[in-house]
Amino acid sequence: MDKLLRIDMGMDGGPKASEEPLGDYAGLAGRGMTSAIIAKEVPPLCHPLGKDNKLVIAPGLLSGSHAAQSGRVSVGCKSPLTGGIKEANSGGQGAQVIARLGYAAIVLEGKPGDDTLYKVVINKDGVEITPDNSLKMMGNYDLIDKIRETYGDKVACISIGPAGEMKMAAASVAFTDMEQRPTRHAGRGGVGAVMGTKGIKVIVLDDTGMPTRSPKDPEKFKAANKAFVQGLKKHPITGEGLPSFGTNILTNVINEAGALPTHNFKTGRFDGAGNISGETQSEIMKARGGMVAHGCHKGCVIRCSGIYNDKDGNFVTKRPEYETVWAHGGNCGIDDMDTIAELDRMDDDYGLDTIEMGAAIGVAMEAGLAEFGDAEAAVNLLKEVGKGSPLGRIIGNGAAVTGKVFGVERVPVVKGQALPAYDPRSVQGMGVTYATTTMGADHTAGYAVTANVLNVGGSVDPLNPEGQVELSRNLQIATAAIDATGMCLFIAFAILDQPETFEALVDMIGAFTGQNLTADDVTELGKTILTFERDFNSRAGFTQKDDRLPNFFKEEPLPPHNVTFDVKDEDLDRVFNW
Amino acid sequence: MGSPAGGSPFSSVVKRPMEPKPENYSTINLRLTVESDRLSLFSSLLGQGFTLKVRTGCSLRELLCEQLGVHADYVDQRIQTIFLDGKTVDDVDTAVIRQESTLALSAAMPGLAGATLRRGGAYAAMRRQISHQNTAGHNSVADGVVMLKLFNLVALELGPGFLKQGIWIRGKHMENFFKKVPDYFWPGCRAAEIDGTPLKVEEIRRLEWRHRQVFLKLEVKESG
Repeated sequence: MDKLLRIDMGMDGGPKASEEPLGDYAGLAGRGMTSAIIAKEVPPLCHPLGKDNKLVIAPGLLSGSHAAQSGRVSVGCKSPLTGGIKEANSGGQGAQVIARLGYAAIVLEGKPGDDTLYKVVINKDGVEITPDNSLKMMGNYDLIDKIRETYGDKVACISIGPAGEMKMAAASVAFTDMEQRPTRHAGRGGVGAVMGTKGIKVIVLDDTGMPTRSPKDPEKFKAANKAFVQGLKKHPITGEGLPSFGTNILTNVINEAGALPTHNFKTGRFDGAGNISGETQSEIMKARGGMVAHGCHKGCVIRCSGIYNDKDGNFVTKRPEYETVWAHGGNCGIDDMDTIAELDRMDDDYGLDTIEMGAAIGVAMEAGLAEFGDAEAAVNLLKEVGKGSPLGRIIGNGAAVTGKVFGVERVPVVKGQALPAYDPRSVQGMGVTYATTTMGADHTAGYAVTANVLNVGGSVDPLNPEGQVELSRNLQIATAAIDATGMCLFIAFAILDQPETFEALVDMIGAFTGQNLTADDVTELGKTILTFERDFNSRAGFTQKDDRLPNFFKEEPLPPHNVTFDVKDEDLDRVFNW
Repeated sequence: MGSPAGGSPFSSVVKRPMEPKPENYSTINLRLTVESDRLSLFSSLLGQGFTLKVRTGCSLRELLCEQLGVHADYVDQRIQTIFLDGKTVDDVDTAVIRQESTLALSAAMPGLAGATLRRGGAYAAMRRQISHQNTAGHNSVADGVVMLKLFNLVALELGPGFLKQGIWIRGKHMENFFKKVPDYFWPGCRAAEIDGTPLKVEEIRRLEWRHRQVFLKLEVKESG
């Protein structure tokens, strides 16, 4: 992982690939790499769909090694959805294979002069870029079936569906999983549209003949990895809760908290939550011969994913995650698991962010295009997106565009990106992060607890009501840093609760890189990444007024607790004072 | 950490009568004999809530440990996310159970939301608007009724104990359960009785439950 692969799609004479040493980017990975390249090389005022934008795909620090949970991959660009810097990340096989091929990042740049669609094949012998217009408007599932016919079932793929080709702002980049299905997505911010502008339909990654990445200190690494895995397996969240119920374990709990956004953020409780809870979902999956505990990439020991089959036992989709179940479920008033699974499958096939789609359909329902709870109508609206009809293109460009076109006031977005599955009126600290994060409303501060473990930014009294700004700041710093490692976010509780598991993680990183990681290093890395990102957004025209939640969160009390978002603007503006 | 030393999460057999005195509903007693590997199917039902007759005005810890017989270690270690009337509880010793309170119990949850809702967690400040305010010192002990909801691992571990004792649930939840339960439940449901009268298992689905209050009690047989 000591080189960059650049693929310039706008060269005279056709696309060209070149390798170069890491240079100033040495030591960076994941979000650290994507944000550094975007901040340094992409003009902040460029059009996100233009030739000057770049799409950077970067595996984590430990990807490609035997380290458990090291398979996250970051995808960065200037976002067509927000207009700011974007890092979306994903599981799947991509990170491991890119890293074993020796690349710290693949950078897609330039723009073809016509609408020819290309296929990129990367293996130990190099890079081949070939036109293949037979792939046009193909769904991700059919596309991968076709790739399998030619390249076999061992390769990993990075692809876009029709939404990416149509350059929709909610388009995702798909990564294949262990079964070579396109079920894992860098979903947020329209990264798939940027890949579409580069004219690349699919990147086929073949690491045959490439070795697993070796640590600097193999014995210490092996011992630390073993202790880390043991820690994950014995913890009740990573060893029991997530494998048993997946991330959708949250539905009942968030609903009970009155924080489950329902009917386009009108209330915090959904009557049908029990029908789409993780508990119900797992029983359905078991009954149909699906798989309740399943990893999304090799090296996953938590296995929060699963296989969701139809009533006849045929594969439909991976276990829909909590955010997907919320977006297509409670947010749209739909309490039927099979419908939600169908919508999830369609999102993956078209190549769409499930959160943005659920939010956009919720706004469309608010506008009167369908009734809340009308499952058939939701499916039909999503089909419009897949077809690229005028209505579908509106919805496929996200909740903000949908709200604007149909004159809806209650549009749950920040910086143009839809809020995820936790209402910020009930969990106000998350609202601080939604408002101020560089990414637009984003829930992936999942490494939250690492801030506390590492004492990032100093100690904060957890019960002090004034501490939310400080908590959000620390979370964002820690999240930015840990996003750079490529570790799965769900390791967090195990390292919080079990000091020996945290030590094992630190030892593992140290043994792999040959450098000892300290809390100060983490803090500095996190601050550096956020500084890159804030600077980019500032140069792109963002100001403090963009670090705000929509007014309705301040004005409309949320049942059942009837709370409004009451963090002051001046406090939001203190988040990045360090 | 299913329970201390891997045993029962209950420190004693629950002897307290589980049934409140339902009002404004016709009641029905349903007794099912089910195979043990079907017990997890009742998790969704337990998450909808069931009512218990208890002494109110006591602390949450007293309710769980002394009245319901849950092992203290289980309360401290396993039950990491608690809601009392929808508000997040940080301290089980000072939160007071009131008449007709709704109490929801869950294991620790993943992600930032999970960290935020965890009792006494590092991120409790982030949800202060929905935190339960401690109410110790205002106790008025009396007989009363509470609704208990069990989620996820807690439902799997505490649920069987309550189901064997019998629980009162709303008819609409019972009806929804029979409508939605996967088909493989039925072969594992060996016998059914309503108000002491045996009936064919498949007839359960056809009965009108919606406007009833149901006392459901399970007898559990080994699978196979």
